[in-house]
Amino acid sequence: MALAVEALEVRYGGIRAVRGVDIEVGDGEVVALLGANGAGKSSTLLAIAGAIRPYAGRVRLDGRDVTGSIPERMVRAGVAMVPETRDVFPDLTVEENLRLGAYVRRRDRADVEADRAAMFALFPRLAERAEQTAGTLSGGEQQMLVIARAMMSRPRLLLLDEPSLGLAPTIVEQIFAMIARLAATGLSILLVEQNVGKALAVADRAYVMRLGRIAAAGPARELAAAADLKEHYLGG
Amino acid sequence: MSARDLLTLLLLAGSVALLAVAAEFLEVRLFVRIVTNLFIMLVLVLGLQVFMGNSGILSFAHVGFMGVGAYTTAVLTIPVRMKGMALPDLYPLVAGLELSPLAGILIGGLVAALVAAVIAYPLMRLSDAAAVITLFALLVVLHTIMLHWSAVTNGPRTLFGLPRATDLRLAAVAAALAVALALLFKESRIGLLLRSSRDDEVAAAALGARVPVLRWQAFVLAAFMAGIGGALWAHFITSFSPKAFYLKESFVILAMLVIGGPGTVTGAVAGTYIVTLAFESLRALEAYLNRAQIFAEQVVGLTEVVLALAMIGVLVLRPGGLVATREIGTWLLRRKPDKGDPP
Amino acid sequence: MTAAIQFVIDVLSLGGAYALMALGLVIVYGILRLVNFAYGELIMAAGYTLYLVSASPLPWLVMAVLAVGAAVVTGIATDYVAFRPVRAKSVTAVLITSFAFSTLLQNAAQLLISPRPRSIPLPEVFSDTVTLFGVVTPARNLITIAAAAVLLSLFTLAMRRTVLGIAMRAAATHFTMARMLGVPANLVISTAFAISGLLAGTVALLWLGRIGTVVPRVGLEPLLIAFIATVIGGMRSLEGAVLGGFLLAFIDTALNYSLPQDLLKFRDAFTFSLVILILLWRPAGLVRGPATGQRT
Ligand SMILES: Nc1ncnc2c1ncn2[C@@H]1O[C@H](COP(=O)(O)OP(=O)(O)O)[C@@H](O)[C@H]1O
Ligand SMILES: [Mg+2]
Repeated sequence: MALAVEALEVRYGGIRAVRGVDIEVGDGEVVALLGANGAGKSSTLLAIAGAIRPYAGRVRLDGRDVTGSIPERMVRAGVAMVPETRDVFPDLTVEENLRLGAYVRRRDRADVEADRAAMFALFPRLAERAEQTAGTLSGGEQQMLVIARAMMSRPRLLLLDEPSLGLAPTIVEQIFAMIARLAATGLSILLVEQNVGKALAVADRAYVMRLGRIAAAGPARELAAAADLKEHYLGG
Repeated sequence: MSARDLLTLLLLAGSVALLAVAAEFLEVRLFVRIVTNLFIMLVLVLGLQVFMGNSGILSFAHVGFMGVGAYTTAVLTIPVRMKGMALPDLYPLVAGLELSPLAGILIGGLVAALVAAVIAYPLMRLSDAAAVITLFALLVVLHTIMLHWSAVTNGPRTLFGLPRATDLRLAAVAAALAVALALLFKESRIGLLLRSSRDDEVAAAALGARVPVLRWQAFVLAAFMAGIGGALWAHFITSFSPKAFYLKESFVILAMLVIGGPGTVTGAVAGTYIVTLAFESLRALEAYLNRAQIFAEQVVGLTEVVLALAMIGVLVLRPGGLVATREIGTWLLRRKPDKGDPP
Repeated sequence: MTAAIQFVIDVLSLGGAYALMALGLVIVYGILRLVNFAYGELIMAAGYTLYLVSASPLPWLVMAVLAVGAAVVTGIATDYVAFRPVRAKSVTAVLITSFAFSTLLQNAAQLLISPRPRSIPLPEVFSDTVTLFGVVTPARNLITIAAAAVLLSLFTLAMRRTVLGIAMRAAATHFTMARMLGVPANLVISTAFAISGLLAGTVALLWLGRIGTVVPRVGLEPLLIAFIATVIGGMRSLEGAVLGGFLLAFIDTALNYSLPQDLLKFRDAFTFSLVILILLWRPAGLVRGPATGQRT
């Protein structure tokens, strides 16, 4: 699915978090959105997902204007969001968390069942803990759960906010391997990351945000080659 | 006090004086009664404004303290020869007392403040739902005590025999003083810090404001004003029962404050005026309908229905009330924005 | 021995009613952070519906269903009148609108029906007594216990087994996250109010059945009871609310059995002081609810 963000602005009261951002994600493309802490990446993603109302600008899906839609409508339109806060529902079991992920297509019981089996195959650690409450999972397992849960809605565009945040290196490896596998299925992904190397390795293209604006953009390989990327935009 | 605050005080206290003079001059009994009652309500509503407007916390306990003030002055001022009838089981220590109403009213305010100071200190740590429920619970506790502490309150029955001491002038003076008190508190250091905590509790605490202490100070002052208001009312109405200090009264006071605007003293005053006007007109309409016997049943509750709708309407359309942020003096003295001004 | 059985039956029947009252308040508070002051008026609405249909030839059960339906409708109306228009504003605004709505409903009842008590139809069994293990007790008590047991089990089952139930539990922790999975906010909110109404309506049948009449202020006592029970049990926890209901019933019954008459009058003062103390000690109530949670 093609996503086009045009001149997006997000404000929190007087704080201008995002100040005119243009982003495109093509069909089946993996696009990385990089930037230092506070650059406005999460705000951009939340505005796309409908969790916060943009102050100005447009969000289009396949050309259709969906600016300011409520979040539940964005899910039905095929956009799934994995926020950086990794919001598992701690009192619900892993199984129930996944079931909720399939809320928008809860009537296709057989399909949902098949998807869940597929997710358990993709994340075997979740399968082992299906009946456990999500609050008891480790950080890495919770990250897997929120990705799997987002995938249960069968999105065409996945918004991933810092999936590697605070995880051990081996887990980070696994998470990125999963992202690569999901990308291989033709899913479009907009990936926010601070782990520049890993993000650029899975992405086709990338944007760099700084102080609420796009400071650089280009194919992932070119950005990866630009030696000054880190010191200039990512705050070292 | 800045020029703006002085102007606000002048205008608001002036409106009180004007009304008082008009009532005095007209000499219509009903009008004098209504205006006197309005002044008493002003004291009560401004008291609630002191706490709620500055701290942002809804307090149901307010009318409880109104009751404390009313019963305190009753016990102190009912003539000794009437006490045997009105409060036969009153403790001998106070049964022989007969203070002047003015002293009773003042002590009523002080006792309410004292009770508030003792009980409320630990409560002020709470915020949001927990704060509202505790203050609601406090009202229930106070009400239960008033209902059943028969020796002092005559229980659920009507207590009578208070000297009629609250006249138009006394009420007007009290109302003007209440306006001044509320304005002074709002612009004091405590008031300023408290209002910054209302907008962002964490940030205010980070700046070194001890939010619970600030709230407590506002709460005690509010209780003092409620006590004074209650005592004034007691000497105006001269007989009452505990149900006068419960949810119905809470609703009226809250309606006045919310419709006018809890954030400003001007709002509290304007709300009291407007709601009193609406209230008295609707009551008159109810009375007229009942006299004309257009309906088979008594018409009661119409007033409250209309007020409730107005309250919801204001909260939906103008959440800050009619006068949300700027006092009248500030509004009148506003400059055309210069280039140098912050927006 | 019979005294013990009597005590247990009293606690269970009172506790059943209290638990339903508390649950109806918590289901809305847990998800929406709204302390619904108009909750008692749901019970009032059910009561007046019973009164209004009492002249009809309908069987009592149909009347009861209509009454519960009226409570559900009033619950949903609370959402539209008092909650939805101000839900993006401050917590205080929502509290005040619900308090105003409560006053509105009470006075509308005064205005349109009467300030004086109106009697409501009750089925024969409500006034029967039965002998159980040698204890004579009103059948109403046993009906209350049974109704509470059935309703609480159904409720638990619905919250665990249905997708909507799971969505409601999820929304109580992370409302926005639930929405980002496609759970419609409006459906969750309306369902919460509807369940609240359903519980209040059922309570109305059992509670008003003790006195046989309805007055405009009839909702105040159940509201107060629900407050205490939820504070004891934990304001965010459904299990806690039920537990709190039974605990409060235990305390009340024990005080009734033990306190002398002139102290018993102050029972409310005691229980509400207890509420204040508990909130001071643990502002979220005794039983912790689901982790964090933002308002919608
Ligand atoms: N809920 C909020 N309220 C106020 N300011 C916020 C909020 N969320 C983010 N901000 C501010 O907006 C800016 C961008 O934040 P964010 O989008 O989270 O950046 P990033 O994800 O790139 O770290 C920061 O300055 C941050 O402090
Ligand atoms: Mg971020």
